[in-house]
Amino acid sequence: MKKILIILSLFSFAACEETVTLDLENSEPVFIIEGLVTDQNINQYVRVTRSVDFYASGGAETISNAVVTVSDDNQTFTYTHNPNASTDSLGYYLSTQQFAGEPGKVYNLRVEVNGQVFTASDELFRVTEIDSLTSEIDEEEFEDPDEEGEFYEMLFYTTEPQDTKDYYLFKFYKNGAIIRDDENDIFFSDDELLAENIEGVPTAGYYSLGDTGTVEMYSISNSAFIYYNDLINLLLSDGGLFGSPPVNPRTNIQGGALGFFQTSAVASRSIVITD
Amino acid sequence: MKYTLLAVALAAVFFVPEIKAQEKVTINGFVKDAENGEELIGATVVIKELGTGTVTNVYGFYAVSIPPGKYTMQYSYIGYFTIEKEFDLTSDVEFNVELPVEAIQMDDIVITDKPIDANVTDIKMSKNELDIKQVKKLPALFGEPDIIKMIQMLPGVITAGEGTSSFFVRGGSADQNLILIDEAPVYDPSHLFGLFSVFNADVIKDSELYRGGIPSRYGGRLSSILEVRTKDGNNKKFGGNAGIGLLASRVMLEGPIKKDKSSFIVSARRSYVDVFLRAAGEKNLVHFYDVNAKVNWKHNNNNRFFLAIYTGRDVFNFDDQFGFDWGNATGTFRWNHLFNERLFSNTSIIASNFSYKLEQDDLSAGFEWKSDLKELTLKEDLNYFMNSTNELEFGYHLTYRQFSPGRIKPTSRTSLFAETKLDDMFALDHALYLGNKQKLSERLSVRYGVRLSIFQNIGNQDVYIYDDPQDNIDPTRIDTVSYGDFENIKTYVNLEPRISARYILNANSSIKASYNRMAQNTHLISSGTVPIPFNTWSPSSPYLEPQLADQVALGYFRNIRDNTIELSAETYYKDIQNVTDFADNAQLFFNDDLSTEFRQGDSWSYGLELMAQKKEGLLTGFISYTWSKTERDVPQVNNDQPFLANYDRRNVLNVVATYEFNDQWSFGGNFTYSTGRPLTVPAGRYEYEDYQVDYITERNGYSLPDFHRMDLSATYVPRNNKNRKWQSSWSFSIYNVYSRKNAFTVYTRTRQNDDGDIIGDGNEKEARQVSLFPILPSITYNITF
Repeated sequence: MKKILIILSLFSFAACEETVTLDLENSEPVFIIEGLVTDQNINQYVRVTRSVDFYASGGAETISNAVVTVSDDNQTFTYTHNPNASTDSLGYYLSTQQFAGEPGKVYNLRVEVNGQVFTASDELFRVTEIDSLTSEIDEEEFEDPDEEGEFYEMLFYTTEPQDTKDYYLFKFYKNGAIIRDDENDIFFSDDELLAENIEGVPTAGYYSLGDTGTVEMYSISNSAFIYYNDLINLLLSDGGLFGSPPVNPRTNIQGGALGFFQTSAVASRSIVITD
Repeated sequence: MKYTLLAVALAAVFFVPEIKAQEKVTINGFVKDAENGEELIGATVVIKELGTGTVTNVYGFYAVSIPPGKYTMQYSYIGYFTIEKEFDLTSDVEFNVELPVEAIQMDDIVITDKPIDANVTDIKMSKNELDIKQVKKLPALFGEPDIIKMIQMLPGVITAGEGTSSFFVRGGSADQNLILIDEAPVYDPSHLFGLFSVFNADVIKDSELYRGGIPSRYGGRLSSILEVRTKDGNNKKFGGNAGIGLLASRVMLEGPIKKDKSSFIVSARRSYVDVFLRAAGEKNLVHFYDVNAKVNWKHNNNNRFFLAIYTGRDVFNFDDQFGFDWGNATGTFRWNHLFNERLFSNTSIIASNFSYKLEQDDLSAGFEWKSDLKELTLKEDLNYFMNSTNELEFGYHLTYRQFSPGRIKPTSRTSLFAETKLDDMFALDHALYLGNKQKLSERLSVRYGVRLSIFQNIGNQDVYIYDDPQDNIDPTRIDTVSYGDFENIKTYVNLEPRISARYILNANSSIKASYNRMAQNTHLISSGTVPIPFNTWSPSSPYLEPQLADQVALGYFRNIRDNTIELSAETYYKDIQNVTDFADNAQLFFNDDLSTEFRQGDSWSYGLELMAQKKEGLLTGFISYTWSKTERDVPQVNNDQPFLANYDRRNVLNVVATYEFNDQWSFGGNFTYSTGRPLTVPAGRYEYEDYQVDYITERNGYSLPDFHRMDLSATYVPRNNKNRKWQSSWSFSIYNVYSRKNAFTVYTRTRQNDDGDIIGDGNEKEARQVSLFPILPSITYNITF
């Protein structure tokens, strides 16, 4: 809905935007849990933080004393806080053993902190393959590139299984760093409007010759799709003018925390950008 | 059963013996403007000897039945000279009268310009007529006079901010207003997302807003009726006007087809910023247009025919890659017929279509998305002027609606989009109404009536049965019930009583009271404050109950200074049941299981409205002040806690004035002040992956800064106009004279500098206030011929 605001602003010729200071009361912090189990055999992670005041400086308040476990029907994986004692991994809990999630299984998260217990469940679905990636010059960007020589776009090809209900999350990388058109972009989709052959859909951003472009395609559950949909609506809220008033995303976490516990199969493919 | 009411109505007209079985004669006819032959709606007709009278109906017709005798009839209307004529009535008389704007000499007619006292004597309350001539002299954004902007200044009316065409009446949301152009509903009255309305000032004859005391002939929306009527076209001489403004140009032509019998009017308006932009090589283009056309044939007083059409559209095109457009098309055919000297009938056939389209032209992701809402209405409205103390109105309205919320088609063979369509929905809406305006005593008059609304959600449609009809996360359909064409899915019957009363305290003052119940069976699917054209509508259905509003209002009306200044104070309480709202995080666009997002709750609003108005003289205008409060309580929204409505504003003050300085110059001004509207703001923030997310605890718990703005205008008519066939004028406007940065909305983002580079470590957020218009001068050149 912010887009309508932008269009309307164009019309008023001299619409003006300025930073204002809201007179906000301090809020009671809420726990935020972010967890991911993929089908890759790695140390899976869960992050536990707390919200801070809107005008607080610095990042989230990290929580290091939580007790975190993930279980499926057969076994329970325990997680430890920041096992490598790295300062930028505060609040991150890694599974003590490497494990790969399996499609068809339901994973259960349990986080206990200061006597409060939060739980969540998510089903891991299989993901379709990325058939190929190609690159080509984007005519418009070529004429007026934002960065010298950066005018290639990466195109993505896949086959959407039409007989199942699928949900996807995409992440795009340039030379290993995540790339988006806007800081708040989230690339995700259900398959309701999708045809079987996805041919040459441009991914985010522009590349230079020789760059390595990567696409990661995650299978997500319906509740993750709902979460990302709610999250993008909140991130792009226009303040409730043309769209809904901002509201917290619906989460699969029980017990009063925000965030999401996601399980995904991941398909990944990379190319080197060529002519 | 639905025909019972009509039968009762007919019986009342034809069989009820009159109380005094005394011979009566009827005088009837039309009251018109002497210059162009346009009928005057709501003109006052008084029989001086009896101290009683009537007003012309919405087609300009009046009739009074009185014992034979000598009478002086007085005809008056705001802005016109009053005409008095003596009659020696021995049998029925047809008398059409034309009221002059300038003093004229005529035999056996007395002309005066005494102001009239309708404010005090009329039963109607909570109602305002808008004077389009005054609107044209007031300051206008980009020089485009806009009747909706004037409506937004009336007491009891709230706006969401400048640059929107939506308005909120007595605690009702924007979709609770029934907006009619020549009786046809306009589903989205906005151009350019609301910067202007679809109403072209050149063709408007008359418009009025009811916010309470709504007569039984109107229904279908909860909060207000805005009725806009277009001109019939001058049936005396050919003429027209044209205007060139900064943003749009317009032309209007009108004239007789057969003098005094038949006339036409055609008018067009188009914005032309795109023409300049295209020339400048700009690839993002936009324009809007409106076309109004009307012909009429007034065969005689007994049979008159009208055909009116309106079509308007907005077209946006971004680099030939992406575009969208929306618009309304309406058509009205009307037949006015006199069954006898006291029974007036209007038969209308009305069609309306609102549609929008979004289109992306792309090999891999091309699509076309269309949505529309069509309706066809048959209306039979009758006025029976029974005697000098009773005027009956009754009728039957039948509407068929087809809602097509969306269909998506790929536009290339390689598009990633599959062809998808949301199910159409259909509805049949019957309404029978009966009302009477009755004079009980010299002081007390009442208007009472009832409207029976029978709404049917009909096939063909597949209705899904859900395991849990309110599960919007994982809706599970357990069954599907298929309905064939016109098969009844769900019927809702509502009886809507309406009553208004006026008690005259003395020659200068009266008190009035009203109660009305309204039912609404078409629901706007939007959770924003301001509707956008891409919203869709849904009929009442097994999952959506009719919205019901009960409103009481009480008012004191007083005229001072020989009726030149009208004062009113009104207070109201409105209670809405089943107000349609949506779950938090509702997905309202292209949702197959839309019904799982519906949440209906309660809404209540109360307020005090004060108004002082001066309609005649060199200085005219009004001051209005409204204190009001509107809340909602909707299950599962805002954690089940009541919250202020998005459009709640505690205090609103508006001043509107025009001043005729001399023959060359006139001036106009507006001032508006209101408390800021509620806003949902973050209580904190948190990180999810690398997104900085707002933490929300309460809906509408904060308020935007106060809104205020002043606009000024001047109209200049050059001296050299006098001796030529065409006249010109210049309109100058300054919008937002002191360039106040009024908050349109506030949103949040990661802290950035003016170049859009992140400040700090990217964790911190900031609130950004958007203001639309700084000081904006404009100039418009008009010619009239």
